[in-house]
Amino acid sequence: MLPWWVISMSIIGTNIGAYDYMGAAGGAYRFGIAQANYEWIGAIPAMVLSALLFVPYYWKAGVYTVPEFLGRRYNLAVRVIEALLWGAFLACVLGVFFWAAGLMLNEYLGIPIWVSLLVTATIVGVYTITGGLAAVAMTDVVQLLVMFIGGVALTVLGLWTVGGWSGLVASITPTHPNHFNLFLPLDDPVIPWLGMILGLAFVLSPAWWCCHQAIIQRTLGARSEWDAKAGMMFAAFPKMFIPVLVVLPGLLALSLNPDLVGPDMDRAFPWLIRNLLPAGLAGLVFAAFMAALISSVDSTLNSAATVWTRDIYQRFFVKTASDRHYLNVGRILTFVFVLWAIAFAPVTKQFPGIYVAMQSLLSIFQGPTFAITLLGIGWRRATQWGGLFGLLAGVAISSALFFAAGWSFLYVAWWSFVGALVVTVVVSLLTRPEPTSKLEGLVYGLVMKDDEIQDVISRRAEGGE
Amino acid sequence: MGDWLTGLPLWWGKVIAAVFFLGIAVWAWRRDNRGWRDLRVWASVLMAIQFLLYLAF
Repeated sequence: MLPWWVISMSIIGTNIGAYDYMGAAGGAYRFGIAQANYEWIGAIPAMVLSALLFVPYYWKAGVYTVPEFLGRRYNLAVRVIEALLWGAFLACVLGVFFWAAGLMLNEYLGIPIWVSLLVTATIVGVYTITGGLAAVAMTDVVQLLVMFIGGVALTVLGLWTVGGWSGLVASITPTHPNHFNLFLPLDDPVIPWLGMILGLAFVLSPAWWCCHQAIIQRTLGARSEWDAKAGMMFAAFPKMFIPVLVVLPGLLALSLNPDLVGPDMDRAFPWLIRNLLPAGLAGLVFAAFMAALISSVDSTLNSAATVWTRDIYQRFFVKTASDRHYLNVGRILTFVFVLWAIAFAPVTKQFPGIYVAMQSLLSIFQGPTFAITLLGIGWRRATQWGGLFGLLAGVAISSALFFAAGWSFLYVAWWSFVGALVVTVVVSLLTRPEPTSKLEGLVYGLVMKDDEIQDVISRRAEGGE
Repeated sequence: MGDWLTGLPLWWGKVIAAVFFLGIAVWAWRRDNRGWRDLRVWASVLMAIQFLLYLAF
């Protein structure tokens, strides 16, 4: 039963991890302040929509996980496909996290990248398999604080070193004229402005802020519906300042060390820690970032093992066994995922930065998932076959555009969303409507326009409210 | 995306973003929670700040 300000802090705290500092600084080094789009047009409008439209729905509909909602609203096949997609995504994200941790170790301590990867994998693998971190909540808070202090110190010291904002602009603009524009031209192969609007603002951002499990769960812990909505709404204010902590350091690194190229641009943040902070503080901040990165790997590893054990193995292979059996299966899967992540980590180099790597992996299934979730909540005529074929068509479109055509992940997200939306509507109209009994408590109109609630509203209106 | 798109001027993006922000602000506005607890006001403030940011950069 938490007040709104705790909800806000929780949302922001979980939204800015070590990976975000490192990935966003690398992105800013590469693209300039266009990287801030992820925190502004790619977050704030969706947070407002989420607070006023989706949080009240989740609050009244009761607690659901998104896969559970999709399973009830459509059918088991949709739920299993979602679990497979999510499980595959988590497995690949592990590789990206490993790569980030490897870069951090390599840049700060000079250990070769392969040794860094193996060291990270060994540490994470051993303590995840033996039971995970104890007192996770407390260590997370300490890490967050040290990272925040480190981020502020880097920004202040960096700005002082380059001669303030005007010095920063003067040193970068001659060689990178677009680095202080939020929107990049349409011929930019990675983040053109139209892609930022269609793919990020219209699809990836609302998919995350309105329909992502981690975000929804934060708001459901509130003491009242107003606190849940306000928690989301007021989190948008500190969210607007995050670019100062994560984007500005990337620009400072570019000003101070313009020699990083290709995948090495993601070294911008650890390079700043090593070269700008005084020795004692640098070590502390490096340790906090390393611990936070490994903590992210640990929780992702646990999530991946849980999804594959519960939604795949238990559902299709061994349906009834002891808890100990499933625990051992989870441990074996964890070991397999660590090996997979070591193998996948170098693939991260193929993407223009670790931030784009994560977004690209998300874009393959976020568009179709958002489309069928949106129709499942908002349109009572959507049928189970519409949802199933919409999801399959959307993933087929995104895979074709991403792997075969090599389109920007932003356009992949947009067109797979549109494709899934169209297929879901067409197939739904061609198939038998779902009975009202199945839709109760699931469709927006039936949840929000409940007779009892309408009665309260009309009585208040009569009372001159 | 098609080559025809690359001809679209960058200021179109600014206009679309401005309409997007103002659209959400108007939508929110037209939806003891009075005064500072009226979330519609804060939604409009957030969108106004976004509008100014995208105007500035």
